[in-house]
Amino acid sequence: MVLALVEHESDRVDELSLQALTLARDLVPIRPGPVAALLVGEGGREAAAQLGAYGVASAHVAEDERLAAYAPGAWARCVGDVIDRIGPSAVVAAGTSRGNEVLGHVAARRDLPFAANCVAIEGGAPLTVTRVRWGGSLLEEARVHCELPLLSVAPHSVAAAAVNGAAAPAVEPFAPALEPADLLVQVAEHVDAVQAGVSLAEAKVVVSGGRGVGSADGFGMLEELAGLLDAAVGCSRVVTSAGWRPHTDQVGQTGTKVAPDLYIACGISGATQHIAGCKGAKKILAINADAEAPILASADYAVIGDLAEIVPAITAELRRARAR
Amino acid sequence: MCGGLFARRAQLLVGLVRLGKPVDRSGDLPRRARNEAEIVLGQRKLFQRLGPGLMHAAIFWGFLVLFPTIAIAMIGAVDREATLPWLGHQGWFALLVDVFAVLVLAGVLAAVAIRKVQRPARFEGSHLGEADMILAMIAGIVTTLALWHAARIALSLNEWPAGWSPVSDALSGLFGDGTATEVLERAFVWAHVLIILGFLAYLPHSKHLHIATAAVNVFYGRTGPAGRLEPLRFDGPEEEMRFGAGTVPDLTWKQTMDTFSCTECGRCQDVCPAWNTGKELSPKLLIMGLRDQVFADGPKLLKDVAGFEPDPLVPNAVTDNVVWDCVTCGACVQECPVSIEHVDHIVDLRRHLVMVESRFPTEAEPMLRDVERASNPWGRAQTERADWAEQLGVRVLEPGEPAPEVLYWVGCAASFDERARTAAESTAKLLQAAGVDFAILGPRESCTGDPARRMGNEYLFQAHAEQNVSTLNEAGVTKIVASCPHCFNTLGNEYPDFGGSYEVVHHTELIAELVRDGRLSPRNDARSITYHDSCYLARHNDVRSDPRELVAAVGEPVEMERSGKRTFCCGAGGAHMWMEERGGAINDERAREAAATGAETLAVACPFCTVMLDDGVRARGDELRVVDVSTLIAESLED
Repeated sequence: MVLALVEHESDRVDELSLQALTLARDLVPIRPGPVAALLVGEGGREAAAQLGAYGVASAHVAEDERLAAYAPGAWARCVGDVIDRIGPSAVVAAGTSRGNEVLGHVAARRDLPFAANCVAIEGGAPLTVTRVRWGGSLLEEARVHCELPLLSVAPHSVAAAAVNGAAAPAVEPFAPALEPADLLVQVAEHVDAVQAGVSLAEAKVVVSGGRGVGSADGFGMLEELAGLLDAAVGCSRVVTSAGWRPHTDQVGQTGTKVAPDLYIACGISGATQHIAGCKGAKKILAINADAEAPILASADYAVIGDLAEIVPAITAELRRARAR
Repeated sequence: MCGGLFARRAQLLVGLVRLGKPVDRSGDLPRRARNEAEIVLGQRKLFQRLGPGLMHAAIFWGFLVLFPTIAIAMIGAVDREATLPWLGHQGWFALLVDVFAVLVLAGVLAAVAIRKVQRPARFEGSHLGEADMILAMIAGIVTTLALWHAARIALSLNEWPAGWSPVSDALSGLFGDGTATEVLERAFVWAHVLIILGFLAYLPHSKHLHIATAAVNVFYGRTGPAGRLEPLRFDGPEEEMRFGAGTVPDLTWKQTMDTFSCTECGRCQDVCPAWNTGKELSPKLLIMGLRDQVFADGPKLLKDVAGFEPDPLVPNAVTDNVVWDCVTCGACVQECPVSIEHVDHIVDLRRHLVMVESRFPTEAEPMLRDVERASNPWGRAQTERADWAEQLGVRVLEPGEPAPEVLYWVGCAASFDERARTAAESTAKLLQAAGVDFAILGPRESCTGDPARRMGNEYLFQAHAEQNVSTLNEAGVTKIVASCPHCFNTLGNEYPDFGGSYEVVHHTELIAELVRDGRLSPRNDARSITYHDSCYLARHNDVRSDPRELVAAVGEPVEMERSGKRTFCCGAGGAHMWMEERGGAINDERAREAAATGAETLAVACPFCTVMLDDGVRARGDELRVVDVSTLIAESLED
């Protein structure tokens, strides 16, 4: 029997947990038995009802008003309680920060091995899994030597897939035996990230300016262009050092690392410090007055000339094209 | 009673020093003796500033000469007719006493003039009241001594020929030979003895403690290479393991003694690039802050007060900003007349913050991660490391191949940074032109770990040190030329601690040797060039003449105000290449100084200086070309 820790936001099951359930089904041939789910806190019963389509036969819902705020120790206690009750042969969670943290606690409390961020389950004895390491740059084949392996599933490594004709699972609420120590660490407050416009790290297009922009006011034309392209505005380190833009706008080794489809570098010479932040871009367009600027070595396209002429010309051309 | 007060205080201070963690300063006795002679007796560091140096030397040498007069006065105070056997009767000694009494007084007056009239900024934050008190006491000691001698001459009590002491003899004219003078003679000698005793009791409670501690601190000062950091041992028994300095008991005994030796002269503060650009760090205030904490926590630790937990040094003794402002340039250490090792304090504080608390400027995190994962601080692919060398046909040393005569250690900056790369290309061309048998490691070269180590991540540094040493040893490398002064320092001064001993030279040294041997013949076009000394070359490793020889071979050298061992940092050291700068920009300040020479070229010998100063020059809009010395030579050959 496989136990899966399922995360949910009120009554909606988290997409990453559905992916984890999908991968967990690969365990069934090796660890035979029905798949059980554990849901923690408010909305658990409603969320559990949706899990039949993902192969879950029974859902254990931990209920206690102290579970209203996320507390890793308390969640680990819930997992432990269910392990003791049903004796599963594997525990799976989504490789989210919560999933990894909770299984980390379970591993420490029960002295069990924990393979985090798995992307595939190969089977065999000992159980062989493939997991991602070093921020995705390395795949590791790991053998987990124990009766009760703990696994988390790397986000987006599999697509969530439903199974046909499954009935709603049996929902079994229970009160976990929480101890005060379990609640020492818990979420005290949620703070929303202040964001105006498109976030730099996630934008598909970034319009970025360097010393060549000349002044804080010079960024006006970049903002205009960015507005048309639904892009975020970034800048180089010299710009934040000069105080033209806040540090949150900095692209580079000491700022944000971006990976847009298109990175437009305006008046940026291209120090290594900066390239380190934008080398993940699919295409780089450099606009620079200096044909010798180092950025040209990293650019896919380049326009050599005066920013103050070229950027407004691009903006005007975009407007004209869209008006048509 | 005064002796008792002194002894009680001395006992506490010795106890506090003994509380310190071990650090080995036992070897190198000849060098220690030389330091003692040069730095203490010869006052070498003090003479780095001529005026204040003369002032201090007058008082210090005066005290050495006048020391026996304490005994003479004490004997004379008890028995008017007695003096020290032999010495008390010597005319030449009386002359010395007279001359040095005047010199000490002149020194005190100069000190008062410096403090009250000139008021240099280096005293900002020092205990000024204490200094006034001490100067008054010193003036009192020598004045009463001279007056006592004068009164004795007037009463014909002098055991030495009066003609030998011109000053006291002249002063004796003030006194008659009656009872009044007899009373005054007693008053002067007792005043003299009482001020000395008062001084003795006050001394160890004040910043003037350095009279007792400085000579010891200088003796135990570092004798090895200035650029080497003491490695932490991660393999020893747990109770001996140390992860830098988190609280007072984590300080080494030398570090505690450093804090007792500081006399708050502020020479360090005056030369500190951070302080000079409006940042929080002053090396002087750092040491004073640590001293306050030692005195606050130390006595309780000595008494083993139950349940006492010492406060963390950061942010109590010094703030986080102070710890992170440092560029490890070592200007403070170079300047300090009493051998305080500020950089070691900073690095130990960082080690604790990084390795125990994981608390450091967030923008530096990607650098640490990239050094760990990608083996270079910008996260570039190792496979691209030798790209620059391909079209030049530079040999990449493959495993199993015979080692070249010289291994060229390119460094990450010159391998990946477009601006710094030019220096690598120039160096390779010059080595080729001179027919030197050399090769690079290419993708097998990895960050030396210097930025991680200076950030306090000793663990990450050691992992890289071990890996690089094993690559170099397996390849059979014996001689290395490095482009980057930071790599140069780490390879030459720090890798021996990890089993890697090679002859390491900087590219300017090797190229200068090739020029001297006639294997390269650069042409001089008489343009004016100012040379910027990199801290890790000039100050930490004393490489100053070779780059200057090269500059003089291609142009007319012109020196900046601060040069050689007293150079001013570009702002990138101590991992600051990967941190954001608070306050004014250090590179702008240095670029300003370079531009002020009127030179058309700013020659550098470090890839980080290249990038920092080029940025500084651009930010200021100066017409100054920033270029590596190697490129200047290579260009002069092409013409």
